[in-house]
Amino acid sequence: MLEFVISKYNFWIYVILMMIGLYAMLAKRNLVKKLIGMNIFQTAIILFYVSIGVKKGNVQVPIILTEHGHLVKAIRAADYLNPLPHVLMLTAIVVSIATTGVALAVLILIYRRYQTLNEDEILAIRQQRRETGA
Amino acid sequence: MKVIILIFVILAGGLLLYGTLDMPGWGDPHSPASTWVSPGYIEQAYEKTETPNIVTAVLADYRSYDTMGETTVIFTAAIACALLLRGAVGNRRKEDE
Amino acid sequence: MVQQFPALIIIIPLFAALITVPLGSFNRRFCHPWLILVMAATGLMAIALLGQVIAHGPISYRMGGWQPPWGIEYRIDELNALMLVLITGAGFLGAIYSGASFKKEIDGRQTMASSLYLMMITGLSGIVITGDLFNIFVFLEIASLSGYGLIACGGNDAPLATFRYIIMGTIGASCYLLGVGYLYISTGSLNLMDLSRLLPELYHTRVILTAGALMLVGIALKMALFPLHAWLPEAYYEAPSTVSGVAAPLYTKVAGYLMIRIIYNLFDFHFFTEIFPILEVLGWLAIIALLIGSLYAIAQTDLKKMLCYSVIAQVGYIVLGIALANRAGFSGAILTIINEVCTKSCIFLATGAIIYRLGDSRITSLGNLFRRMPITMLAFTVGVFSMIGIPPTMGFFSKLYLIFGCLEAGHWSFIAALLLSTILNVVYFFRVIKAACFEDPRPDYQRTEPYPEVAVEEAPASMLLPVVAAASAIVLTGLGSHWIILNIIRPIIPAGF
Repeated sequence: MLEFVISKYNFWIYVILMMIGLYAMLAKRNLVKKLIGMNIFQTAIILFYVSIGVKKGNVQVPIILTEHGHLVKAIRAADYLNPLPHVLMLTAIVVSIATTGVALAVLILIYRRYQTLNEDEILAIRQQRRETGA
Repeated sequence: MKVIILIFVILAGGLLLYGTLDMPGWGDPHSPASTWVSPGYIEQAYEKTETPNIVTAVLADYRSYDTMGETTVIFTAAIACALLLRGAVGNRRKEDE
Repeated sequence: MVQQFPALIIIIPLFAALITVPLGSFNRRFCHPWLILVMAATGLMAIALLGQVIAHGPISYRMGGWQPPWGIEYRIDELNALMLVLITGAGFLGAIYSGASFKKEIDGRQTMASSLYLMMITGLSGIVITGDLFNIFVFLEIASLSGYGLIACGGNDAPLATFRYIIMGTIGASCYLLGVGYLYISTGSLNLMDLSRLLPELYHTRVILTAGALMLVGIALKMALFPLHAWLPEAYYEAPSTVSGVAAPLYTKVAGYLMIRIIYNLFDFHFFTEIFPILEVLGWLAIIALLIGSLYAIAQTDLKKMLCYSVIAQVGYIVLGIALANRAGFSGAILTIINEVCTKSCIFLATGAIIYRLGDSRITSLGNLFRRMPITMLAFTVGVFSMIGIPPTMGFFSKLYLIFGCLEAGHWSFIAALLLSTILNVVYFFRVIKAACFEDPRPDYQRTEPYPEVAVEEAPASMLLPVVAAASAIVLTGLGSHWIILNIIRPIIPAGF
């Protein structure tokens, strides 16, 4: 039982982090808080991927030891960490930043128009404008 | 409303946790992720690309297309922000006259 | 030269988008011809690829020469080539349309908007052409980001609608990424063909079950399938006319293509009928989407909003075809995708022309429109006939094959729902045609003097041409539907049907 928990507890922590982010995205009424929830959700997925690449034992990061251009010792796959999740997550981090940037630009436009960032107040103002305008 | 969302989030979390029960353990050196594609990268990256940093070799050589996609994502985000916040580009001198 | 087309078809719009920014900063008037040139070149390449795939079978193209699964591979079969032709065709029509439409609605910002337009086409083409799961995620994000930027440009309430779309779209893409992560941790590979070889022995594990569920939920969010459709009507209603005319037909259909790939190529569809019986649930959700989309559309008073709800209903048709899991249903789903791209382009672009001339698109202000804008309304009527399903338009053949599929599977209630939704389509579309035929919905029987002359003020030619081209595409693909089924659909029907 303890063995089982030790071999899986990192995945459980990331799932709990994802759910915190998902709750913030859906339930909070302030638009900036929703954005922060989105960031937490994406960060938890990135952590999940990176933890796939870990190998226990006497392993080192995926940089091959060389000395003046020659290999120090022969390359064996069991001596190095898995490089592929790191590669994928470099791209995913950039995608997350880009989405946050565009969302913040959209938030600036919303603030210019409604003077508030609370979703309930924005919907009330929009309803009022539609009634007086239509 | 918040209670409904809380229950939904707990159920979704439960589904994800159910999925982790069968996964290979954390750091298992015999898991499929460590024994199918990545040993090929580790063992052949130095002789094929002469780069000691394997992550750089994969990112810039084997999967360079993904890196081009990532640069494109940054460009698209920059243009989207410029379109939304700045607006008018071009013909500015003619408009001032 | 044709060997390099799979790579060129992504590279050319991408570099053209980069070149658009300095070109447009120099003189804004260069953007429109440049856009048309690039989209024409891309469209011709897509048609050449389709011809080669039909003549010689699937193409396999390795990026950088690396062997898959260590490198990224493109595998183009008839379905990919068909989706490429549809995407670049709709993009070409939108590019011709964008000259006058951008000038009216977002004047001064055409440079950036044209650049984002080319990025959108790049992203959508990249999703349908690649054979690597993580590459799909990267191009999905390119397409989504350019969509967010373009939609937030329009109208008054566009930024709020875009923010909701950003939140829901990111949940969808992240769920898809998490599903790919669950698949990676249990197999170690990311290539579509490789995974379809490695997965069958893992079908009974919980990881793969959760991975399949996560990927389907992510794609259903992007596709606006019934419970997750809340972002679509507002986002495409507030968008500028060109953007809704190109994005509304394309995004949901590309997500439908992804669903076909995952259910039929990545996993064997037996996984989804026996071990994880989700196809039943998808079928019922599709039926509810059909009916609810049509009912909401009847309740609208604005033409463009009504069309957005119609998109939700049509997504139901595609998912129904996928969920039936037999030959006729599969053919019906693909024919519906072809029909939807042509018909929704025609109708949304015609609505944009109406907004260009009249200023708004409420149904009460459409009086006398058949006399004022005859060619636009004629094309609109052809589109309406295709939505309802009158031969020889493509809509008739797509509905026919869906009904054959339901018959083969024995779901009589689905046939009843399909026919009911057709009648509901008639109700809300003919309401628009009736309003456009007469000057006043209630005729004045006491009137004795003749009605005043109505001048013809058509939309400009650069906006009329795409509308007429889309309408003729509806009829031509309908007449050629037998050729399409024989050469494009029959080779890709999954084994086991």
